[in-house]
Amino acid sequence: MKTSPVQTISPEVLTRAEGQETRSGPLTVCLAGVPNAGKTALMNALTGGSFHTANYPGVTVTLSRGRSRPEFGPALNLVDLPGVHSTVAPSPEEELACRVIEGRHQLIKPDALIVVVDATQLERHLKFAAYAASQGKRIVIALTMMDLLARSNVSINSGKLSDALGVPVIPVDGRTSWGVEELMTALARVTSQPVDPFDNALARLPEEPVAAYAELREMLGRSGAFRRNGSLMLARDSFTARVDRVVLHKYLGFPIFFLLLGGLFASIFWAAQPFMNLIDWSFKEAGQIVLAILPAGVVARFLAEGILGGVGAVAIFFPQIVILFFLMTLLEDSGYLSRGAALVDRPLSYLGLHGRSFVPMLSGYACAIPAVLAARTIPSKRERLLTIWIIPLMSCSARLPVYALLLAALLPGSAGRAGLALASIYVASLLIGALTAGLISRFILGKRSASMLAMEMPLYRKPLIKTTLRMTWTRSSAYLKKAGMPIVVISSCLWLLSNFGFGSRQPQPEHQPAPVIAQSELDSSFAAQLGQQIEPLLHPMGVDWRVGVGLISAFAAREVFVSTMAIVFHIAGDEGTRQEGLLESMRAATFTGTSQHVFTTSSVIGLLVFFFFSLQCLSTVAVVKSETNSWRMAGLQLLFYTGLGYILSVAVVQGLRLSGVS
Amino acid sequence: MSLLDAPHNEWRRIESINGPEDERRRLLDLGLTPGEELAVVQSVPFGDPLVVLVRGMRLALRRREAAWIRVV
Repeated sequence: MKTSPVQTISPEVLTRAEGQETRSGPLTVCLAGVPNAGKTALMNALTGGSFHTANYPGVTVTLSRGRSRPEFGPALNLVDLPGVHSTVAPSPEEELACRVIEGRHQLIKPDALIVVVDATQLERHLKFAAYAASQGKRIVIALTMMDLLARSNVSINSGKLSDALGVPVIPVDGRTSWGVEELMTALARVTSQPVDPFDNALARLPEEPVAAYAELREMLGRSGAFRRNGSLMLARDSFTARVDRVVLHKYLGFPIFFLLLGGLFASIFWAAQPFMNLIDWSFKEAGQIVLAILPAGVVARFLAEGILGGVGAVAIFFPQIVILFFLMTLLEDSGYLSRGAALVDRPLSYLGLHGRSFVPMLSGYACAIPAVLAARTIPSKRERLLTIWIIPLMSCSARLPVYALLLAALLPGSAGRAGLALASIYVASLLIGALTAGLISRFILGKRSASMLAMEMPLYRKPLIKTTLRMTWTRSSAYLKKAGMPIVVISSCLWLLSNFGFGSRQPQPEHQPAPVIAQSELDSSFAAQLGQQIEPLLHPMGVDWRVGVGLISAFAAREVFVSTMAIVFHIAGDEGTRQEGLLESMRAATFTGTSQHVFTTSSVIGLLVFFFFSLQCLSTVAVVKSETNSWRMAGLQLLFYTGLGYILSVAVVQGLRLSGVS
Repeated sequence: MSLLDAPHNEWRRIESINGPEDERRRLLDLGLTPGEELAVVQSVPFGDPLVVLVRGMRLALRRREAAWIRVV
């Protein structure tokens, strides 16, 4: 496997690796700055790697690290720090960045800092640079967004600016790598020459903001670096203001917002369909080829059903993930996402959430794991925890194959109605998430402490398609790496569990009649025994132990339910049904020894309800634990949602049966 | 007057920032310092938050935050 020069890793891993390095090793250089200054794009350019970069404040939710590209001279360890809006009352990720910059971090000890400064917001970003400089680190300023200056009729002379501040100032564009070589040259100069890091005008700025801003303005005025051509435009004239007047319009704002999100979800379902069919077909064909080539027996069946079946279960919804990440990245890069956050701040704060909860909630529709990480950008602890609490309710893409299967079973031959039902499930997940947050906020957390929005909204910018695609690939492949292996391993194990057991040390000889093989393998397998153990719990849900095996295996990842159903029911069926689709096998399935069907209207609706609420994802539990630093929160969440799912599912099934629905 | 009462699309000068200490210091740190000019350029549906232009940046401020800002 090709190793990427940039790995996104948790701070804990990073610090461990960092600690093993001796001082004679490569220098450590941190990228610091206000969110949305272009740090991550610059990191991309410096390392030649590709990872998260976007036009939404606060996207660097984990520390990313990489090595500088060889053409820039001796290798440097580069660490991309989270953006800092303000060093006052910091959020957890701001606090982490401040600890590193102030030299209070135990293991990340930067030898120098690249402070990334947005040229269109010079004063505010230089105020942060002054804070960094006053910590005694050698610094180089990377001046970004130079291409946007023309819009505000301003020009900046970086040489004069550098003279005035007393530190090197290099204009760069991380997206095109323009100026990056000069930046590295400047960095090499400051790290090799003995300079007093406190001996520059920037480091001498006062800490008190009123005096600091006044002095900064005076310094910039004296330097002659800053030139305003013509009068300062009031917002109504700028491109960004014109777009904002439409997308934040009193009446048009929300329709546009919902139209964009609706379009996003529609493309996930419709645009992905042909690719999903293709993937489905190729895995089925590959399975057939394996069965045809290899000598008939347990090895061939393991490869075809266990391994290929498992990989196929992951691969089939990969197109949806790619499309979702692509469109989200486009929205982020264009600058719209922070408008979305501003739009929903009022309704969300009514529920005890924050405008910034919007991005984690939206990401939750792809996968809860990046969503929980994205909640780090929410400054108040209460709002952050509440956001994390409701993320598992957002209908993540792992539920999609499950819903697709169950809805196809529930509404045969009606793709339109199934699509409508699916859309309702998505809307319901948002509404119930909102309701849960509102109830918990009102009745459990009680009187709220105040929180702040004060959120910066970037200028609209045309996304660079190359950057967007690269980012989409990074995020999608990271998802695949994270989700893929466990699913393949688990579905392989599951295949073994459902094919071997105490009763049958090895599969029966091939020449015996097929139905007998299937029956004997099934009833004595480990999986069957496990499923039968929990069968009393499953009867109220209207399903049998085979579905129970699926529900247990779904704790690895919800979509495993589908591949488990495929394995369990193909084995249970006879030679005839094995050739047919999973749906037919499910429809034909009856409780052992009876003619009572397992998948009826009520039991399928019950399963839909269960999957809607249940937190069947151990990876999410692990991430919530590490993010909140509390097993209590993670465990409570697991018990609450899974218990709620079970209780509601039983209630729905029994209610439907009482009212005459089979 | 409070920033909430200031007409839109007009430059106003910040007189003082009030509010709880942490929030007040954070607003100052973001560049909303007395003497600085700012303009409310947009309000979002529901009238909350407001978008203000200050030091070249657009900042979405809740009405609660805007109420702490006295302008002349």
